[in-house]
Amino acid sequence: MAKPFKSTRRGITGALEPGEARLLGALLDDVVTMLEPDTAPSEDPLAALVGMSGADAQATAPDDSAVRRLLPDAVRGDDDEALAFRRLTERSLREQKIGALRGSALLIESSPMTLNDDQARLLAQALNDVRLVLADRLSIESEEDAERLHDIADSKDVDDVESYLALVYNFVTWLQESLVRAMLKAARLDR
Amino acid sequence: MNAMTVGFATGTDTEEKVRTDEKTDLDQPWVVVVWNDPVNLMSYVSYVFQSYFGYSEAKARTLMLEVHEEGRSAVVSGTREKVEQDTVALHSYGLWATFEKAGSE
Repeated sequence: MAKPFKSTRRGITGALEPGEARLLGALLDDVVTMLEPDTAPSEDPLAALVGMSGADAQATAPDDSAVRRLLPDAVRGDDDEALAFRRLTERSLREQKIGALRGSALLIESSPMTLNDDQARLLAQALNDVRLVLADRLSIESEEDAERLHDIADSKDVDDVESYLALVYNFVTWLQESLVRAMLKAARLDR
Repeated sequence: MNAMTVGFATGTDTEEKVRTDEKTDLDQPWVVVVWNDPVNLMSYVSYVFQSYFGYSEAKARTLMLEVHEEGRSAVVSGTREKVEQDTVALHSYGLWATFEKAGSE
């Protein structure tokens, strides 16, 4: 079992078992694949020049509910406004998330890991995105749904795909909680 | 709920700052709203409010609890351009955020 993350003088340290690192690496890759844009990046040099390369005039709200949760509407109750905003910002948000996921996949290859503040933030963001996708697949829509899956903490509790996903979800949750606690502790010591 | 709720904090160390924020809020026409969801950890939401907005631990916790218990919280206010930026930044953290005109709920 992975060791909890710790705030130390050298940075935030943690260690995954090889099997855990492989599993998490595969999950991070899966989310990258989900986020890769369907259309080629804008090759209009003028658009790039004026800093509009983050724009994507073709973007629409994603069909996959998990991708929609990763790239949510920024405006409620006004689909036109939400779509216009998405077209200006979604591509750069996708790229930012893909960067954090890919960076995290590299970070977890080391065991033990020693993370500076930026690396810890990237990993916390990436773990959160993995959890959002798993939660969507597990149909976690309320606190009760989350509670219901909470007891699946050991491979002997696993008897189908859903309970396996729940086990993975609970593991990534534990990992993120431990990382964020270490980050909050580090921030408190900095003040 | 409107932008004024941003100012509610229980920690004594934040009282001064909170009062300033309330005053600023009245001049600011747009707010960023964070919505509750059952996935984002309470510790993580607090961390995001502290590290991205630079809020105190007490203020971050108050806002996080408001999201958790009331389903939504207006966490920051500003110009349209600023709340747009903040909303995208919160999306990069995986928080469920939207922007709206202050007082539109």
